[in-house]
Amino acid sequence: MEAKQYIGEGWKHAILIIGAIVVMLPFYMMVSMSLKSQQEIQSISGGLIGAQETQTFPVCVKTGYSEETCTMKPYQYNYWFAFEKAPIPRYLMNGVIVTLSIFIIQVLVALPCAYALAKLRFYGREFVFSMVLFCLLIPVHGIALPLYVMLAQAGLVDTYSALILPWTISVFGIFLMRQFFMTVPDELIDAARMDGMGEYAIVWKVMLPTAIPALLAFAIFSVVAHWNDYFWPRMVITGNRDLFTPPLGIREFRGGIDSDEFGPMMASIVTVTVPLIVAFIIAQKRFIEGITLTGMK
Amino acid sequence: MHNSKAHIWFIAPAIILMIIILIFPLFLAGGISFTDYNLGNKTFEWVGLENYDKMFNRKTYVKMIWATATYVIIVVPISVVLGLCAAMLLNSLRFGADIYKTIFFLPVMATLLAMAIAWEFTLHPTLGIVNSFLANGCGGVREFILGFHWLPWVDSQESWYAVACANNMDFPYWLKQKNTAIWTVCFIGIWQAFGFNMVLYLAGLTSIPRELYQAAEMDGAKSTWEQFKLVTWPMLGPTTLFVVTITTIRTFQVFDTIEILTKGGPSKTTYVMMYAIFEKAIQQNLTSIGAAITVVFIGFILVLTFFQRYVIEKRVHY
Repeated sequence: MEAKQYIGEGWKHAILIIGAIVVMLPFYMMVSMSLKSQQEIQSISGGLIGAQETQTFPVCVKTGYSEETCTMKPYQYNYWFAFEKAPIPRYLMNGVIVTLSIFIIQVLVALPCAYALAKLRFYGREFVFSMVLFCLLIPVHGIALPLYVMLAQAGLVDTYSALILPWTISVFGIFLMRQFFMTVPDELIDAARMDGMGEYAIVWKVMLPTAIPALLAFAIFSVVAHWNDYFWPRMVITGNRDLFTPPLGIREFRGGIDSDEFGPMMASIVTVTVPLIVAFIIAQKRFIEGITLTGMK
Repeated sequence: MHNSKAHIWFIAPAIILMIIILIFPLFLAGGISFTDYNLGNKTFEWVGLENYDKMFNRKTYVKMIWATATYVIIVVPISVVLGLCAAMLLNSLRFGADIYKTIFFLPVMATLLAMAIAWEFTLHPTLGIVNSFLANGCGGVREFILGFHWLPWVDSQESWYAVACANNMDFPYWLKQKNTAIWTVCFIGIWQAFGFNMVLYLAGLTSIPRELYQAAEMDGAKSTWEQFKLVTWPMLGPTTLFVVTITTIRTFQVFDTIEILTKGGPSKTTYVMMYAIFEKAIQQNLTSIGAAITVVFIGFILVLTFFQRYVIEKRVHY
């Protein structure tokens, strides 16, 4: 019996390892290419990290750097040249600006509304809530075209506003926070009112602190979605490099796939992808919770 | 009870934004789809159903519907089943489940656009490790397994693998070839989606009470398969319904991989709806036809969601 169980366990691991290898393939390729020299990439040799021989890189010399500057190990060169060629920090900064603005505005709009829907009694509350439920059905990417037309008419294409405005309302956030606030005891709110707190103070000083766990999950959900989003920035940012978010940057790096060197290109892609992956590995549980939030009823 | 008017200030911003950003665009898309309006035009005329007529009769749009349908019909069931299998395997492991979980979830997290480019190189005919792996396996075990030579009806001289080996390593140009592009894009879609489904199923599995399995065993359901049929599958009903709906909605919205890898080609075999909207309305400035595609697209999604909420929901809850 024991032996049989071990064999069974072994089989399961065998299947899962094959699966894991397939899943990891592109990650391996990405990291490996960002470390190796062009010749090694083209001849598919050198394993994961290549031989790392110090050499002079012709493309770098052609760009106008001295031969001395252009002599280094492939991995150094790939990452150094990636940063020389494209304003990667700017792209990352834009990513931070856009995702944080979206999240903050979403909370500023959703939290008071969720509180009102959960704890205040007023005429039309049911109607507003059913409106929220209806809006939950609308896929924002699906209505991208009319939104684009509206923004174009307002002259907002190619601005930060275009990247942020359509996402300022998160009906999902309202719904989620309302469900959460329903579980907060009324006594807590009554006590706050007795203490003479106004409704505004209650939202931000009483409700917000109780909602931190839910809010954190929502933050991850929102930030990951908008950091990775490519479709919407692609629609509304047409040429202004200063407004490029990380995915738009990635697209630009790929630009000349046949003529360019692959090493620096992959190095830029790795740089842009890594922050989120590192964050994920550090705070796995929270991330999985946040991203599968939509899985909650 | 209190008489403050605070609630008005609390809900007003949300209501205004909902109307402007979510509800009004629905009507706007509907409106534009009945006109010949293009962005930048000063005037427009009502053209009735002309745009829809084009959509269902012109070859391009018929191909668009085919490509979208193929993508959804392939990706949804496979990624759901894979997610379920992975979840059940992990759930029955004694050790190491967390590592696999992290690995399988990585694609969900990582920027899809970057991963699409990584796949492009992985599958590249001359630079990619997939084709070099295949080429190095000619005449060996790899050819036997992947060429399906172990199936009795496959002739080991004429399998796709053997033919490619014989023709100077002529392995598929996965993303550039008419007969493989859509399947390759589907594969990337599955690769990206199944980890998400796995996590939802893992949560579903932990909520099944242990006693049910004991009860099933007493009733004579001894084998794993019988227990699965009797307990696991029915108990996962609500999870499955949810997973299927959410995967379908996400799958319908596929864009990143198509835009960066195939641009809808070759010969429109991967011309999915979101890409069509983007290409027609933004790149070619044919706003009205884009609006018509948008309306059909939203229609699909609304029907699906209603189907989930009101039709099936009643049947799968125990």
